[in-house]
Amino acid sequence: MNPILTFLVVLIGFYGLSTSDNVIKSVFSVTIIESGVILLFLNLGNFEGGAIPILSEGVTQIVDPLPQALMITTIVIGSTVTALSLMLCIKVFHHYGTVEWKEVLSREDVKS
Amino acid sequence: MVNYITDLSLIDYTAYALQFLLIFIAVAIVVHKNNGTIIILIASFSLVTASLYVINNAPDVAIAEVAIGSAIIPLIYVISISRQREFIVLDKAMDDFIISDNQFTGIGYILLKRFSDFYHLELNITNDPLLCRLGEGKDQILCEQTNVDLIVSKDPASGEYILKGKASNILMNKLEQMTKDYDNIRVIKFKDRDFGE
Repeated sequence: MNPILTFLVVLIGFYGLSTSDNVIKSVFSVTIIESGVILLFLNLGNFEGGAIPILSEGVTQIVDPLPQALMITTIVIGSTVTALSLMLCIKVFHHYGTVEWKEVLSREDVKS
Repeated sequence: MVNYITDLSLIDYTAYALQFLLIFIAVAIVVHKNNGTIIILIASFSLVTASLYVINNAPDVAIAEVAIGSAIIPLIYVISISRQREFIVLDKAMDDFIISDNQFTGIGYILLKRFSDFYHLELNITNDPLLCRLGEGKDQILCEQTNVDLIVSKDPASGEYILKGKASNILMNKLEQMTKDYDNIRVIKFKDRDFGE
């Protein structure tokens, strides 16, 4: 595992977030960033020769189980954040009649 | 000196291949235009990340990622994208404007159908009696608090049909231009109210 390649995935997500023209495309990019950050954290606790953190006979060295416990929470919370933002996308469509960022932000009532 | 090519074990080769595949899928998600294709790509993205979690000695995280990331999240995306371009019309007139002879052949239906086909919307006409009763004389509140985009009602005095919607909705301006030629159709747009005052 190379952390630089994983960080590249996070950067691709940021690129998508900043250049997306659609509200739903932004939510897709947030999902990509989240997966990249999880991979980075798991890479921190992992080392060469470490075993899966299940203690049984003959196991002496295990990888750090704390990042794994934190990242399970991140996955579950990330799914709820995705569901909530998609619900807000539907609300945006019914309020402004469009889901394109340019058309939404060019409205006069948003500008003020 | 370490020779990086020959010292890599099989699992390292797999990890590198999966990481390059992950970058490829992420770029494809960012540059693609079609939302339906992106859902499939998101599911495969989650599958590749799950295998990378196993390589990082975290099978418990991988199980959670497979269950949530590649099953539930694509399902949520499918539901929201199919409901995203929906144009909900509440029919309070209940006469032959929308439905004539128990079929969708009224003049108003043909107009709304042409409008929604032109802007690639999915027309959804409802005459839910609960919503109709709730909005008795309070059409603006009904528009603001529910997802109803357009309310069709009839003026009993003059007999003309009134289409009511939010002024913030871009589609209302387009509908107003489209119904300019019809004499018996009037469009009313509710302005946003400031609740702070």
